[in-house]
Amino acid sequence: MNHTSESPYPLARHSHSMSPDTRHLLWSVAPGVAWIVIFLVLPSLYLIGVAFMTNGPYGQPQMPLSLDAFRQLAGFGFLGWSPGNLYTLLRSLWQTLVATGLVILVAYPLAYYISTCRDKLRPIMLLAVVVPSWTNQVIRAFGWMNLLSPGTPLADAAQALGLIGPNMGLYPSNFAVTLGLIYNFLPFMVLPLYAAFEKLDMALVEAARDLYASPVRAFWHAVFPQTLSGLLAGTVLVSIPAFGMYVIPELLGGGKAMMLGNLVANQFSGGSNWPLGAAGALIMLVATFGGLYAMRKVGKRLGGGEEVVI
Amino acid sequence: MTASATPTDAAQPTEIDNASVRDASAITLRNLHKRFSGDAIALDGVDLEIRAGEFFTLLGPSGCGKTTLLRLLAGLEAPNEGSLTIGGKDVTETPPHLRSVNTVFQSYALFPHLSVHDNIAFGLRMKGIPAAERERRVQEIADFIKLGSLLERRVNQLSGGQRQRIALARALVCEPDVLLLDEPLSALDAGLRTQLQVELQRTQKRLGMTFVFVTHDQDEAMVMSDRIAVLDSGIIQQVGPPHEVYERPINAFVARFMGHVNLFDIQGIHDVTVTTALGELAMEAPLQPGKHGGVMLIRQEVIELGPTVSEGYNGLDGVVKERHYRGSRIEYRLEVNGQPLMATASNLGQRLYAVGDRIKVSIHPEDVVRIEA
Amino acid sequence: MKRGAFQRGLSLFWWLMLAFLYLPLAVIVFYSFNSANSAAYFAGFSLRWYERLLNNDQLLDALSNSLTLGIASSIIALIVGTLIGYGMYRHRSRKLGWLIVLIYLPIVMPDIVFGISDMAFFITLDREFGILGPSLMTMIIAHVTFQIPFVALIVYSRFVGLDPTLFEAAKDLYASPFQRARHFLLPTLKPSLIAAFFLSFTLSIDDFVISFFTAGPENATLPIYIWGAIRRGVSPEINAIATLMIGAVVIAAVFSLLFNRRGHAGS
Repeated sequence: MNHTSESPYPLARHSHSMSPDTRHLLWSVAPGVAWIVIFLVLPSLYLIGVAFMTNGPYGQPQMPLSLDAFRQLAGFGFLGWSPGNLYTLLRSLWQTLVATGLVILVAYPLAYYISTCRDKLRPIMLLAVVVPSWTNQVIRAFGWMNLLSPGTPLADAAQALGLIGPNMGLYPSNFAVTLGLIYNFLPFMVLPLYAAFEKLDMALVEAARDLYASPVRAFWHAVFPQTLSGLLAGTVLVSIPAFGMYVIPELLGGGKAMMLGNLVANQFSGGSNWPLGAAGALIMLVATFGGLYAMRKVGKRLGGGEEVVI
Repeated sequence: MTASATPTDAAQPTEIDNASVRDASAITLRNLHKRFSGDAIALDGVDLEIRAGEFFTLLGPSGCGKTTLLRLLAGLEAPNEGSLTIGGKDVTETPPHLRSVNTVFQSYALFPHLSVHDNIAFGLRMKGIPAAERERRVQEIADFIKLGSLLERRVNQLSGGQRQRIALARALVCEPDVLLLDEPLSALDAGLRTQLQVELQRTQKRLGMTFVFVTHDQDEAMVMSDRIAVLDSGIIQQVGPPHEVYERPINAFVARFMGHVNLFDIQGIHDVTVTTALGELAMEAPLQPGKHGGVMLIRQEVIELGPTVSEGYNGLDGVVKERHYRGSRIEYRLEVNGQPLMATASNLGQRLYAVGDRIKVSIHPEDVVRIEA
Repeated sequence: MKRGAFQRGLSLFWWLMLAFLYLPLAVIVFYSFNSANSAAYFAGFSLRWYERLLNNDQLLDALSNSLTLGIASSIIALIVGTLIGYGMYRHRSRKLGWLIVLIYLPIVMPDIVFGISDMAFFITLDREFGILGPSLMTMIIAHVTFQIPFVALIVYSRFVGLDPTLFEAAKDLYASPFQRARHFLLPTLKPSLIAAFFLSFTLSIDDFVISFFTAGPENATLPIYIWGAIRRGVSPEINAIATLMIGAVVIAAVFSLLFNRRGHAGS
């Protein structure tokens, strides 16, 4: 009757009852895990490794290990020091900062306005904001090329104001890249901000209107803190991909408005300096994960920020 | 002592005159242990016999292990130790889909992607019953449970009571040896609940199927069950027919859980006299040798109130502190020797006592019961 | 009223932003019907660029590459991702932080690093072992990698929304593991699987950067073809094909609006 006295097996099995369970877990997640590990984690690790190798005569990475690539990134090349790469790095940071800031300035009133509209209109308005981002990013950049090229009304107006020389277009330029970044990432800021506005506790706002009287102070004390989590989520969704942007600076920027993504890509095609490209990619990875980590920290301090970040 | 005059004898299995009772449905549990990760002990050595064709209830507060025990019977959990036999066959290691046991879940767990008909037919389909017989049996059970008109509905269009019936039909149609019911009435409102309690009991008697019912509601357990097992902390405290568990609870936990409130720590026992905070009361028979201490229980409905003490009764002086009029009965909260004492009088048209009245409290020695703490 | 002026100002801002969002797309659509070969002036209505599309073999090849890539990668991602979603759900009580991190990796990884890593990896594999040289195969592999997380998360969230006792009810009603998959899991998951497939397909069709770096010379997809055409010098044909793609997006938007409406009305 008693199982345990007949054979120790069931008892043994149950005390280690994790093992068939673990087998089930592995069986179900193994293909996907293997896929991501083999085709993303391993290649990334390989790339990180390449960043510490030496550039060979034909552009392929070689031994010995060195920090050459990082030195080149800082501007030390065969012909002495030149700031080109360093400028690209700084420009990427600057563009990310400016574009994120401007996107916030535009998205904030937009999200607020949508949240004040009638219930039936809101989904349509949100869709209207999001639909352009469903089109391919190459096509979107191409649309801006059409708008900013020489002879178009926008370029003519800029010429009349003396902002650009005659017969010039507004692209390629840093300005066009900023514009393209704002255009590209606007929906990613509007959506989380809208979500924050929709959850806004209006009773608190009314109370603040009573207490502070001035609308500006009421906004600052009652509304703004409640939208911080949305703002944080939007900042993550905008700044991290903006820093790694490739298509927009490539099409709208030209050589003088290059960003880190272009520098990296060039080393693997025309430039053929894999270690240098890999070093740039490593910086991008560090920025991405560092940024995510920092936002997570801030998000946790804000409270309930965990779902905000991811 | 009128309440104990129920005809059922505790020593005998419940009488079932239905011929369809199968011996295959008797259940034996031996030394069942179940621990969950994090050292939580759900069952701590359970031994239990459930007889074929009986309505058996597992009763206890939440976390007592009653649901775990039911899940072990269903095969949804495996015991860490011990054995489980259904109809003489050891099923300790048998997975749920190979056990002739079905469950009515607390949430009903009706498949949202299937119609009522397909929900009921699900088990038969999985067992590979041919379509024609499947149809016949679904129709039969639908008539039996009276839900014929609902068969083509989708599950999300049904009320709680209808869902409960369908969950029952889905389990019954498989004709299992044992039907397990996990608090199936807890989500329903009081009126429907009472009605379905009666229906469930009738269904069980008509089919002669073994029902194992889990609940935390002692009234529900007493109304429906042939026998009740009261659980606490993963241990079976007492097993018996409702009247026995109610009138002769084995310890203070069971007594309190069955709704008793008049429990007093025993300060001393001498021959047939027991001393508590209430005073000295005579018992019917002297205590068995070797037993001492414990708790004295006086059921509130055996206490008689009046101007005088009845002949052969223990007499106490009491003051009425509160009166609750319940229609068929009147509850009094008394104070006796500074101790609260609850008494319930059937409403037989006798005089009502008012708050502040001084009255005599009569308790027959037979109703002074000593139980374990 | 001050408040009224504020609201009116916001409303004006809204319309301005809408113009900002749609102007670049409108310009493309507009010039696609231009009879002149120019993006600077409009000479008259014409469908000549659309006719040219039909005779452009390179472009039709690119379209067929995009579709093949989208369908093949989505099917693989659906299978692999569903398994992960199921595993995550079944074992949700365990510490699966490592798995969550791994699943989010393809989502948070910058496109360019993703594409370059895979490219360097595949080129090296090809050089050292003669396997996985850039081709349609390598593109499919890369696409599946970024589709898996989305499928897994959709499937997982569907499971989390289910009454967990349904799984037990299926066991209790005599369904063997295979029967549970066939008669319970799959039918319950069906709508989510369809949604996951379409999302994967959309992500694949829309991707440029990762495709660009993992493609072989023969495997240009539609976005890659358009990119190349833009780099070579703009041809109004690009306006025409871009207009068709914008049209597809608008149709999808209308459908999503109708679908949501119906969903709200139903519940």
